[in-house]
Amino acid sequence: MIERLLFGAVSTVLVFTALMAVTTRNLVHAVLWLGMTLATTAMLYILLQAPFLATLQLILYTGGVLSLMLFGVMLTRRSSEQDGVMVGNESNGRRRALPIVAIMLGLLVTAVGRTPLANAPVSPSPTTAEIGKRILSTHLLAFELLSVLLLAAMVGAIVLARRKDASLEGTNDPRERAAALPGSRPAGAPKEV
Amino acid sequence: MTPSTLALLSLFVPLGAAVLLGLLGPLRRTGRPAAFVSVAGALVALAGAVAILAGGDAALKPGAHLVWGWLSAGPATAVGIHVDGTSAWMLLVVTLVATCVQIYSLGYLHDEPPAALGRYFTYQSLFLFAMNTLVLAPNLLQAFLGWELVGLVSYLLIGFYFRKPSAAKAAVKAFWVTKFADLGFLIGLVTLYAKTGAFEWTAVTPVAGFVTLMLFFAVMGKSAQFPLHIWLPDAMEGPTPVSALLHAATMVAAGVFLIVRAEPLFAQAPMTREIMAYVGGFTALFAACIAVVQTDIKKVLAYSTCSQLGYMVTALGAGDTFAGYFHLSTHAFFKALLFLGAGSLIHAVHSNELKDMGGLFKKMPFSGAVFIIGAVALAGVPPFAGFFSKDLILEAVEHHHLYVPLAALAIAAFLTAFYMTRTVMMALFGAPSHAAEHAHEPGIDMKLPLGVLALLAIVAGFGGSWLAGLTGHEYAFHFTLVGGAGTAIGLLGIATGFWMFGPAQGGAPIKRGMAPVGVFIRYGLMDRLSTVAYGLMLAVGAIIAWIDRYVIDGVMNWSGWILLVGGRRLRGLQTGNVQDYVYAVALGIVVLGAWGILR
Amino acid sequence: MTLDAYVLIAGFMFCIGLYGVLTRRNAIGILVSVELMVNAANINLAAFAHFGRGIDGQVLVLFTTALTVAEVVVGLALVLLLFRRRKDILVDLANGLKG
Repeated sequence: MIERLLFGAVSTVLVFTALMAVTTRNLVHAVLWLGMTLATTAMLYILLQAPFLATLQLILYTGGVLSLMLFGVMLTRRSSEQDGVMVGNESNGRRRALPIVAIMLGLLVTAVGRTPLANAPVSPSPTTAEIGKRILSTHLLAFELLSVLLLAAMVGAIVLARRKDASLEGTNDPRERAAALPGSRPAGAPKEV
Repeated sequence: MTPSTLALLSLFVPLGAAVLLGLLGPLRRTGRPAAFVSVAGALVALAGAVAILAGGDAALKPGAHLVWGWLSAGPATAVGIHVDGTSAWMLLVVTLVATCVQIYSLGYLHDEPPAALGRYFTYQSLFLFAMNTLVLAPNLLQAFLGWELVGLVSYLLIGFYFRKPSAAKAAVKAFWVTKFADLGFLIGLVTLYAKTGAFEWTAVTPVAGFVTLMLFFAVMGKSAQFPLHIWLPDAMEGPTPVSALLHAATMVAAGVFLIVRAEPLFAQAPMTREIMAYVGGFTALFAACIAVVQTDIKKVLAYSTCSQLGYMVTALGAGDTFAGYFHLSTHAFFKALLFLGAGSLIHAVHSNELKDMGGLFKKMPFSGAVFIIGAVALAGVPPFAGFFSKDLILEAVEHHHLYVPLAALAIAAFLTAFYMTRTVMMALFGAPSHAAEHAHEPGIDMKLPLGVLALLAIVAGFGGSWLAGLTGHEYAFHFTLVGGAGTAIGLLGIATGFWMFGPAQGGAPIKRGMAPVGVFIRYGLMDRLSTVAYGLMLAVGAIIAWIDRYVIDGVMNWSGWILLVGGRRLRGLQTGNVQDYVYAVALGIVVLGAWGILR
Repeated sequence: MTLDAYVLIAGFMFCIGLYGVLTRRNAIGILVSVELMVNAANINLAAFAHFGRGIDGQVLVLFTTALTVAEVVVGLALVLLLFRRRKDILVDLANGLKG
């Protein structure tokens, strides 16, 4: 009974905050609503007896991703906007998006209704130690590949976001680059008299 | 060494040369040393091919079959080599002509910059590997690999002078037309695999009719059969030795070789064979008509190649594999000779146009003589090579009661002899043009291949019964009515050529010998008649050339235009907005989901 | 609670996220919506792990989480690039692929 009540409450909050995250007019608010959604999801994980996932969710998503996004918002503010935290987040194309989303929801509900999911047995919940052992044995290769992927993403992000100095643009010659920087001279250049 | 070891040698030494030149840029850019690497590779390949045949046909009778697994898609996808009489002889033809052409190129391309020369010889080595892959293919899958590879090399070599816009365009045209035809090959392969689970040459299947029809479509592209011949005349933009090797002797004959190889398949498809006979016959006649009015010596030879390939296809359509294969071999020798001879004339006067030549025989007796040998071999004069094989084809076609193609081939035989006489008269005799006055014979590196090929063009016809024994057929030359008639028609064509171009162009010795006839020709009815006849011939040729340019190319251009306009209309779909694409994805998911869930 | 309730909730979240992706003009708004969709998938994984499939489902959630982090990092870098080029981050400004 308690579980049922808790689930009802959590899922209501989840859907409400998710809806707010995609409809609110203020971008900063949208990101904060997303944070609420992600935190609520962590509670759902606890209901599913997966404390490891709940912790992961809080640390990685609510901590990492959310702050990253807030930084993104701050770095891309238009200079003309002087009105504090109000960052425009208008929507368009609602009229064509709504039907397709509704149909997709209908299909999902139908599919769930037709599948006998209700009598699935509950399995004993694994401990974090077991999960860790599984990651470093059965899924070791995938785990290692994942670290390569993260490295690649990091390098890629740095390359993409690197700001090119306008005065250095158009030259690949290191000596010209050095000369263009204030206070430095290329090696071997004659001294000014 | 066993035949299969030797065949592997012939296959991989040219590849080694190509890889070496391809990867070692500094070596490639040295030009002549790079050329010697390639020539050495070709010589080794030639030695391998000779050694296989010298080993006697006892080893070749069962055929050495050597395959290795390749893709993990099962035993059907194997690569390897299959050495029997047919492939061993073809290997010899290919490596011999390729070696001759490579040596000839040393002289012909002497003035090219070293880097371009190195690039040329890298392609030449690659071509030899590609062609041998096709020739030695143990199944249709590997044949397809070789087929595509030679197509690629053909593209690269036609576009050798890629700074010249017309050459670049010709290369692209050749590539597209043949790729379009290769679609047929792919469809045939997939169908064959779906029905038999393998890519065997000897597959027995109820869908043989469809498969062979699709293969023949690919052959029409590669072997320049109407209406997919349109790329071959343009391919003459490549260097002349390339035209000799790829677009006359070997690569365009690959289509014919494919049909010879897949004989068991084609034997199950009488319908396809009939279509082949008609397409081949029509191409032979049609291309010969166009050749009559060409003014560019290479274009004459290109259309002539089209026409001769038509002969081979007709023979295969009549079901006489050996006749087609025999003509393929003799044609490879004399047509390569004609192209290289023409190259030597072009080299001397720096022009492809017949009107810039004339009177070259006095200046270049050797080149002139070998060119004439090639011409009479092509015209089917006994006892030159073309006589025997053409004779055999006519006989085979008559034997199978294909009278319409037979008539087409007979007229084509007349036209062939006629236009070759015309070409010889205009290029080698008559009044010398300005450019021809400073012409001189090429060096030994160009003369040697010409001599070898000329010798073969003379004697190759006598090897018919030996070749038949090697490939498991039976053939002995004997006189037949239709063969004799064919030869007579050829001689008549030569006589007509003399009559129209000998005296009229001021060929003094001929005129003296035929003085009484000459008077009659000049002042009698014959003069008018000849004008009318030639005018008619010109008109037919011009009309067909016009149809070729505008109707046949037009259909191609129209289909391109439709795609262009359709594309312009449809480009509105690409808004460039990410969300529209996401919307399309969501729509697709909904449709697929609805189909899966509500079904 | 039974499995279908969790799957339904995940379905709801996924559709909300899709709605956001389709309607938001702001690139960061789209990233937010994508997060919702990924989160829905994660809920499904965890739910199926709880109802019968055992450990592997949870491991998979860890992996998808790491993937999402990578996606957000690259996504935000792209957003910054867009901002530098167009002085704004409305995605309809980035229509260089328009036919």
